[in-house]
Amino acid sequence: MWTVATYVLKKKLGGNQRYPLVLMLEPLFRCNLACAGCGKIQYPPHILKKALTPEQCFAAVEECGAPMVSLPGGEPLLHPQIVEIVNGLVARKKYVYLCTNALLLTKRLGEFTPSKYLTFSVHLDGQREHHDMSVCKEGGYDIAIEGIKAAVQAGFRVTTNATFFDGTDPTSVRGFFDEVMDMGVEGIVLSPGYSYDKAPDQNHFMGRARSRRLFRAILSNRKKSWKFNMSPLFLEFLMGKRNYECTPWGSPCYNIFGWQRPCYLLQEGYAETFQELLDTTKWEDYGVASGNPKCANCMVSCGYEPSAVMEGFGSVKGFLGMVRGTFNKTYPDQQAQAMLDEAAHKHAPELEETSV
Amino acid sequence: MTAEAARFTREQIETLELAPGTKHEKLEGWVPEIAGENDLRDALEKAFDYRGDVTLTLKSGERVEAYVFNRLPGATLAASFVEYFTPSAPEKRRLSYADIARLEFTGKDRAAGKQWEDWIRKYKERKAAGEKGIALTPEALD
Repeated sequence: MWTVATYVLKKKLGGNQRYPLVLMLEPLFRCNLACAGCGKIQYPPHILKKALTPEQCFAAVEECGAPMVSLPGGEPLLHPQIVEIVNGLVARKKYVYLCTNALLLTKRLGEFTPSKYLTFSVHLDGQREHHDMSVCKEGGYDIAIEGIKAAVQAGFRVTTNATFFDGTDPTSVRGFFDEVMDMGVEGIVLSPGYSYDKAPDQNHFMGRARSRRLFRAILSNRKKSWKFNMSPLFLEFLMGKRNYECTPWGSPCYNIFGWQRPCYLLQEGYAETFQELLDTTKWEDYGVASGNPKCANCMVSCGYEPSAVMEGFGSVKGFLGMVRGTFNKTYPDQQAQAMLDEAAHKHAPELEETSV
Repeated sequence: MTAEAARFTREQIETLELAPGTKHEKLEGWVPEIAGENDLRDALEKAFDYRGDVTLTLKSGERVEAYVFNRLPGATLAASFVEYFTPSAPEKRRLSYADIARLEFTGKDRAAGKQWEDWIRKYKERKAAGEKGIALTPEALD
């Protein structure tokens, strides 16, 4: 937190208009799952066989300068040099979030060294049945849980990372929060799904109104045992208590094609350098303020959490809001409780039909 | 974003219940007619969005199998470029629009033909048949 705070303040004092917080470094697109909501891995085999070298990863990190590096994919643990990449980033004192479905975590855990700079961010979309259906793999949840427990036991920092689509049962999600906190994870990361135009499932992307209701039901009347590895202001944004504009340059994406334009989710082209990305992207064409239909349903963390973080560390009002959200805030809300009750009634008899 | 795409108002965005999904254009096997500059530009724009390989026939007669991952449109065809990977070379390559005579969508569209409903239906059928460990698996790379 201190690192991010000083980074944001330095950038602000330096008059920087656009600066990155988290580099989304995709070392490969290959994956060992075929999730219905994912639009990241639909490529010809020769593209899926390609991967960034450690040197390319380090060059991108140096060029971009963000204090945090997220390693999504594809599945990073399929990368033959992932240990070298992680060690190189840790040596550069970058906070690394290795995003994994954990199918290989138990097997490869011994190759990594625990560090305050390294967190395994395990993809878990909910309780067993929900997660297995979401990742289209029966037994996926149990393997991931085994990996999480092994990593926690070995002294690694571990968070879970969930994406929610239309049909999500908020009561089940709250039960899921209890489960993962009991496993000893450091915090929970969550986000509504983005309507990837290449994802197999094109019918369950929530619009903003529905997303806000879902997250209000999930995150109000919060248990104190739940910890979130996210800005409290971003969580308030998801609940409809705040409004933000997108900060697409806050989480720039680099992969085998180059610097992805304009953001982690949309692929409208590639720039050769990070500076070229910043200088030549028509940023006014993106985000809800632009009216761009491709941005219309987006409330995803890669665009809106940087906005929340920059407000939190960039203004007194934002900082106070962040402090309030961090300490002892349970967000009591009777209407949200009524929404939970209603959802429980709806989901109970139709669980098999509506699980996503 | 294309100029003709309709823009949403703030009110439309904030009240959206379900985001409309994308209807995929069936491009696999398509050979666009290239009668003029605009046809070529439109076809290459679709090639950029296509999640499969295409075959480019150059004015020299050479044929190039390519995954087009970027396009850099300029004022003229000579100043416009596509960037691509071929299955046989590790490095990125670049080609001017002016060198391209023909384009064919020859590779399999990797983003087509997989529906959530199909997975649910198959899952239920296999579950009913007593199968365990049911899963969708990524396609083999070889």
